[in-house]
Amino acid sequence: MGRLSWRLAEVAEVRPETGRVATLALEVPGWDGHLPGQHLDVRLTAEDGYTAERAYSIASAPDGERVELAVERLDDGEVSPYLTEELRQGDQLELRGPVGGYFVWEPGRGGPLLLVAGGSGVVPLMAMLRHRAATGSQVPARLLYSSRSLDDVIFREELERLAEAGDGLTVTQALTRAQPPGWTGYARRIDAVMLEEVGWRPGERPLAYVCGPTRLVEAVAGQLVALGHDPARVRTERFGPTGVP
Amino acid sequence: MDETDLRLDGNAVAGMLAELFGFEMTVAWGACANCGASNQLGALLVYAHGMGAVACCPSCGQHVARIARGEGRWWLDLRGLAWLQLDETARISG
Repeated sequence: MGRLSWRLAEVAEVRPETGRVATLALEVPGWDGHLPGQHLDVRLTAEDGYTAERAYSIASAPDGERVELAVERLDDGEVSPYLTEELRQGDQLELRGPVGGYFVWEPGRGGPLLLVAGGSGVVPLMAMLRHRAATGSQVPARLLYSSRSLDDVIFREELERLAEAGDGLTVTQALTRAQPPGWTGYARRIDAVMLEEVGWRPGERPLAYVCGPTRLVEAVAGQLVALGHDPARVRTERFGPTGVP
Repeated sequence: MDETDLRLDGNAVAGMLAELFGFEMTVAWGACANCGASNQLGALLVYAHGMGAVACCPSCGQHVARIARGEGRWWLDLRGLAWLQLDETARISG
């Protein structure tokens, strides 16, 4: 059954990204690649047989049998505290995937790209940006990324490096709750004015991908359409109540 | 936190739908029996729970599908779906 069946992956590395988010690098024997934006399902089974399944977006670009997730710890979560705090290198994890085909991007789909993220919603967008860089794509891309504070910005240094590569990517940060001294980025939630300043004009027909907490995603998608963007070119992925920035 | 915060979309149930249909269903197109709007299933609004999920039309909010599973069975209520179009290229192969 291939991708549909559950299989075992081995944890190659657990790498903290922020105080609440960790990257899990997994080795998945027989993994035949994924599309940026896809996710996989993780299943944990307790000793009494109770199982819990969760979907996690893939953060890495396609790279052989190695797959990276970035998981945000939810304090009342059933699965994420185990994944982010107890899992160790060499442990095994049950998963299936990749799944999803709606919220995916490859260079062949063109652009320009407008990526809008709130909190851990940046994870599938990071897979797109990593793939874009790895393939040498010149598709113009703009990322607008909202976090609570600078310490909550996932992939901060890597995003700075990607933006400095001069290949047509700009990264704009909004910090909603706390800003460091001298902060020159946005200091409020994403709104229509910000989308107009950072995003493409509707006439440039960007492909927009919006991911994060449900309220943010629905607000941003509504604002983009109100600004005149084609609803058919605005794709959304709601993460629910997690990690509200 | 209210219903809005808990609302997901079709992407969240891609794994369950793939298990059920053997296709990558988020790229399948479906039409709402209530308002006629057609959307890819990834764009549907979804309320998921332990036993399954309820999917609603993003245009009018009507239920288009209810899916539940338990005790080795699946239950599907698709009264809200006028039609469903699956692309052969989205079949999940071995």
